[in-house]
Amino acid sequence: MFFEKFRKKKDGTIRFYDLHSKKIKVLCILILLLCLFMVVISVFPAVWVFLASFKDLKEFRKSETILPSHYDLGVFAKTWADLGFLKYYVNSFITVAGCVICAVIFNGLLAYGLAILRPKGHKIIFGLVMWSLLIPATTSVVALFVNINRVGLNQSFIPLWLAFGANAFYVIMFKQFFESLPMELLEAAKLDGCGILRVFQQIILPLSKPIIAVIMIFAITASWSDFLLPYLVLDGSGKETVMVRLFAFRTSNATDVEVLRAVAFSMIPPTILFIIFQKKITEGATMGALKG
Amino acid sequence: MNEKKKIPKTSWKKKDFLGWMIMLPSIILFAFFVWEPLIESVRLSLYTAKGIQTEDFVGFDNYLRVLRHPDFLDALKNTFVYIGWSLVIGFAVPIIIALLITETIHLRSLFRVGVYFPNIIPGLATVMMWGFFFRPGKTGVLNILLSKIGIEGQVWLNNAALTIPLIVIAMTWKSAGSTALIYMAGISGINPELYEAATIDGAGIRQRIRYITLPSVIALAKTLLILQIIAVFQILYEPLVMTNGGPNNASISIMQLVYNYAFRDYKYPMAAALSVMICIVLIILSGIYFKLTTKKED
Repeated sequence: MFFEKFRKKKDGTIRFYDLHSKKIKVLCILILLLCLFMVVISVFPAVWVFLASFKDLKEFRKSETILPSHYDLGVFAKTWADLGFLKYYVNSFITVAGCVICAVIFNGLLAYGLAILRPKGHKIIFGLVMWSLLIPATTSVVALFVNINRVGLNQSFIPLWLAFGANAFYVIMFKQFFESLPMELLEAAKLDGCGILRVFQQIILPLSKPIIAVIMIFAITASWSDFLLPYLVLDGSGKETVMVRLFAFRTSNATDVEVLRAVAFSMIPPTILFIIFQKKITEGATMGALKG
Repeated sequence: MNEKKKIPKTSWKKKDFLGWMIMLPSIILFAFFVWEPLIESVRLSLYTAKGIQTEDFVGFDNYLRVLRHPDFLDALKNTFVYIGWSLVIGFAVPIIIALLITETIHLRSLFRVGVYFPNIIPGLATVMMWGFFFRPGKTGVLNILLSKIGIEGQVWLNNAALTIPLIVIAMTWKSAGSTALIYMAGISGINPELYEAATIDGAGIRQRIRYITLPSVIALAKTLLILQIIAVFQILYEPLVMTNGGPNNASISIMQLVYNYAFRDYKYPMAAALSVMICIVLIILSGIYFKLTTKKED
């Protein structure tokens, strides 16, 4: 029964016909166990954060156990209220919503121009976008911060939102998708006299739902986790996001368990998102891989 | 890319103009958030400044001050140590994960999802979480686990020799799954007939891995390797949060030095000078990357 399933195996080095040998059978089971072990390692630390959050401070400091002695959701509620975490959640949600909208609209439009409209000279822009893909944003964050201050956009969500509208990675993903669309459709629409904006609205957008979904999910997790720019722009403005709050623990005198619970709070939304969209996310991960 | 040229150019009037108009908002955003800051970094690095206002042109003074600062040598040395360890740990682990998972048939989607899971945990939460794992003393999670198998507790991050490898382990934990998925796509794309043909020729499992699976992995690995080195140059909040660069600068990263200059000491020109130097290195690495990937297409 167990080995019968290997008939369906289409990839990998071990083929069904190898399974005549006992050694290979043992190897297969061993690989399966190793994979299970890897999953445990991947998931355990996050699970531990939630479990250990149930401990009270005394237990956390003294006891040498992994698991808490009792489970009471009340401690989460208490820390949530003590730290005023609702405010940070709301701020993060505002940030994420704006970032996702900007990520889809601006990168989508640029990719539409680069992949389909292809006006004269678009290759220059494409070249610049490709280069910015490889030069990480963190290296220019100092100058960007200075610029944001000069135009008076500090302590506001706006630069965070707009920053997601200039993401080379999303542009490339959109572009690759648009280039795979059936050109006949666009030709037909063009013959019917559709303007380029109407083509975008009525043909490209409806066809692009899969890629938009992937970009949205990417943008949600990225903007939720984003911390350096939000910290520089929002710190001290009363608009701090969850990540900015987490970073502030570095210099605060919060207790260990409070920090641990805050870390748990920060992991809940992306975890829920991942559980719902796991298939889409893991597929998107390979789609985003640079195809050279 | 070129087959799209079939669209007749005359059919849309003012096509070029409209095309540029559609791209314009996004181009402005790219200019403001990505391209202009690069130029501004160069300008800022050549001036003295009071806060964010630039004052006098000083040429390469800021660069010299950065290079002569004792922290710079530490950070530079650490960058190579980070790269070294991320090659030893971070580079091999995704390949091994991918090789193992493609040999399974049961529960494969669970494995894919499971190893990818750490990737969606926010980076800051990841490093704080690993901070608890690496905690010295009896209540650190790893020390608890070690004591279960009778090994004495370690001081982990406080041990200068272990700091960087441990940070790299935490980073690998987070990123290995997503890289592994890319390798898996590559391995799954190998034509199964190749394996069958090799088997008929008498190749065992080991030989098939050596001569069929690994060569296809290596092509991917070359490009991912450069991307990984580029990523190492950006290491910032891992040491910032886990160790604050310590003990004794043992884990300070080059981006952290930029961060310290800019947002701890408010010496923006020095931070910009160091950013520019990092950028130049990255541009060279990116050039190598492009060379490698375009060669692959030929």
